[in-house]
Amino acid sequence: MSGEEARDAVGDYRYGFHDPENSTIRFDKGLSEQVVRDISELKEEPQWMTDIRVKAYRRFIEMPMPTWGNCGMLNQIDFDSVTYFLRSSKGTENNWDDVPEDIKRTFERLGIPEAEQKWLGGVTAQYESEAVYHSVREDLEEQGVLFLDMDSGLKKFPDIVKKYFCTVVPASDNKFSALNTAVWSGGSFIYVPKGVHVEMPVQAYFRINAKNMGQFERTLIIADEGSSINYVEGCTAPTYSTESLHSAVVELIAMEGAKIRYSTVQNWSANVYNLVTKRGIAYKDATIEWVDGNIGSKLTMKYPSVILKGEGAHAEVISVAYAGKGQHQDAGAKVHHLAPNTTSNILSKSISKNGGRSSYRGMLQVSPKAHGCRSKVVCDALMLDADSQSDTYPTMEVGNPTADLEHEASVSKVSNDQLFYLMSRGHSEEEAMGMIVNGFFEPFTRELPMEYAVELNRLLELEMEGAIG
Amino acid sequence: MMQYPQISIPPRSEHLWRYTPWRRIHPTKVEEMPMADPINFSTGEDSVMDDSSEIGRSFIHSISKVCNLVTIDNEHLELDLRCSGHICAGELNLVSSGKSSLIIRVSGDAGWTGLRVIGEVKGTLSVALINDLAEDGHLLRCEDWTVGRDSTLEISTLSVGGILNKSDIRIDLKLNGAEVRTGIASNGHKSRHDDHHIEIQHSVGHTNSSLVMHAACGGASHSVGTGLLTICEGADGSDAGQVFRNLLLSEKARAEAIPELEVLADDVKAAHGAASAPVDSEQIHYLASRGLNFEEASTLIVEGFLMDAFRQVRNKEVVETLRTRLLVHLECLIKG
Repeated sequence: MSGEEARDAVGDYRYGFHDPENSTIRFDKGLSEQVVRDISELKEEPQWMTDIRVKAYRRFIEMPMPTWGNCGMLNQIDFDSVTYFLRSSKGTENNWDDVPEDIKRTFERLGIPEAEQKWLGGVTAQYESEAVYHSVREDLEEQGVLFLDMDSGLKKFPDIVKKYFCTVVPASDNKFSALNTAVWSGGSFIYVPKGVHVEMPVQAYFRINAKNMGQFERTLIIADEGSSINYVEGCTAPTYSTESLHSAVVELIAMEGAKIRYSTVQNWSANVYNLVTKRGIAYKDATIEWVDGNIGSKLTMKYPSVILKGEGAHAEVISVAYAGKGQHQDAGAKVHHLAPNTTSNILSKSISKNGGRSSYRGMLQVSPKAHGCRSKVVCDALMLDADSQSDTYPTMEVGNPTADLEHEASVSKVSNDQLFYLMSRGHSEEEAMGMIVNGFFEPFTRELPMEYAVELNRLLELEMEGAIG
Repeated sequence: MMQYPQISIPPRSEHLWRYTPWRRIHPTKVEEMPMADPINFSTGEDSVMDDSSEIGRSFIHSISKVCNLVTIDNEHLELDLRCSGHICAGELNLVSSGKSSLIIRVSGDAGWTGLRVIGEVKGTLSVALINDLAEDGHLLRCEDWTVGRDSTLEISTLSVGGILNKSDIRIDLKLNGAEVRTGIASNGHKSRHDDHHIEIQHSVGHTNSSLVMHAACGGASHSVGTGLLTICEGADGSDAGQVFRNLLLSEKARAEAIPELEVLADDVKAAHGAASAPVDSEQIHYLASRGLNFEEASTLIVEGFLMDAFRQVRNKEVVETLRTRLLVHLECLIKG
């Protein structure tokens, strides 16, 4: 694919710019046990982490590619053409002025420093494999909140990391979690002490800049008893003619009475494979919320999960997906009710346009011991043209007679009545369509911090340009 | 075309085989082709059927010694299928025209029964299959239906017999104006395992489909309902819906529902739903206050729930036959 064809394929993607690559360390393409050991050695990790990585690498080699989902696209991934580690700066800076000039320029174009000043409790900015900038508000530090990039977290708090790492998403969970465990680099490490409520959201921003880059961040968030945190992440990448791989693992642990909200606005360029494993464990009376927006990428396979392990725990998943030309958004949610009186709500909304394909894949499981569970799943899909495709693959497994579960889904097109009404009020057809799409996604955007919601609406409007005719 | 021994064993990642894998439903070892006694059809004439590349259909075809053709034209027919012996198999070719109805009663004490049906509908056909096999019987049922232009197929299943059942029903709406209404009622008791997979394909536009499956699961029974509704590219004006409802009656009962939807056309109505809940205690209380004991009250609720799966079946004769058989079955359960 030529550069021009690639640009045509990814369309009007405003984050498609790239900066010259000024890496300080760049591994050769391809993956081997030596690469895994080299990453660990370079990061001066303890032996136990090296052992976990090597074991995970062996599992990755053994495990077959998934035989479900979009196998055609998955099998196009060439693991030998991916760069598994690339360091862009000497270290993680706490002062914005110390960040290398070219990287700083990139993040300034993305509006990160401005957002931090205005409304964030802390920021991690990851460029390629590692975090280049990290800061956290002093008052949070004083309350004992730990918010670091994952590499620093491992260095400074190895006991906490060792205790929780791979406990929610084991390396052997799936091929891509094995890959992530083998070559992980960067990501966020958060520990919120008992009873501390982090009022302002903390944010991580992930940027892939280099060609054929693989980004494998690992995020671990632990909210101790009675605490709460709101974590927001955003993702972009440049438009290249070759493909990149993003395969993250996120582990959330909400102790008794804790609450974690994890919001994502994924806007990778349409040449990125986004294969992510996100899972949380909620203990007694805890709440885990996934707010998940998928706009970009070539293929996304992401099913945020919650294991409701303690009585009275609650899960909430709100996800939206937008599939344009050449894209397949295979997203969904999984909730496992293992304890009595646990509740969950899943709301999924998707739009397919210009031959894009959006799929909802969900799992709702009630174990025999989980008395009195309640769950509701709603999936709505909107198709904007006849070339697109929309699928739903929900699974309900019920092992307790007292469970009360509901699932409903519908697929429809934009109604001519709605278009006609808006156009009769003076809007063009394109504007009317944009308004209807924004309204369709409203249950999602109202859950995002305002700045993200505004940005998402703008992104959707951009995506909707040229949708008519 | 590959014959049974050459067809690879399907993986459990295919939802058709997730809960009742091929190894479990095969009567012996998967590599074996056992000898089978023929199903005894009460009416019809000899016929032949082509092999299939799908593993269940090909297996039944390979071991069957009988293929029966039944032609129905503007009539009501009752067809008894007597199944006996250790392993029993047969193929049934159905051709229907005019306004017809058909009751297929599968009964007998066969240890394992394989039934393959190919049906073609022109006009209106209301067909009901009653699984009345002995308590320890196994059933593999594979059906393929083609519905003609402006034709309607009502296909009902009352599944109360056997201990391990797997049904794979596929319906192709190939011509404009075709319609299918599917109702499945399954009553689970003891350790009964009842797996229904239904695929409905809207190959062209202006075709309608509805699927309702109700499963009441008592004892340590396990009900599985998987549906795949596909609206093909260009099949505009299609209207499709599927609903799976499970009523769990005991601590050890389990139920799974996977209503899948693949939509490749935009000017369509497509929806699906699934729900699982216990018997409503208010309903039990209401009936108890009218003098019914707990068992009678819950049986009445189960009857109402299961018969509701046939709500869209318009042929009253078929519905009454199903109701009568269900009542007898529920009464037998109460009396032990």
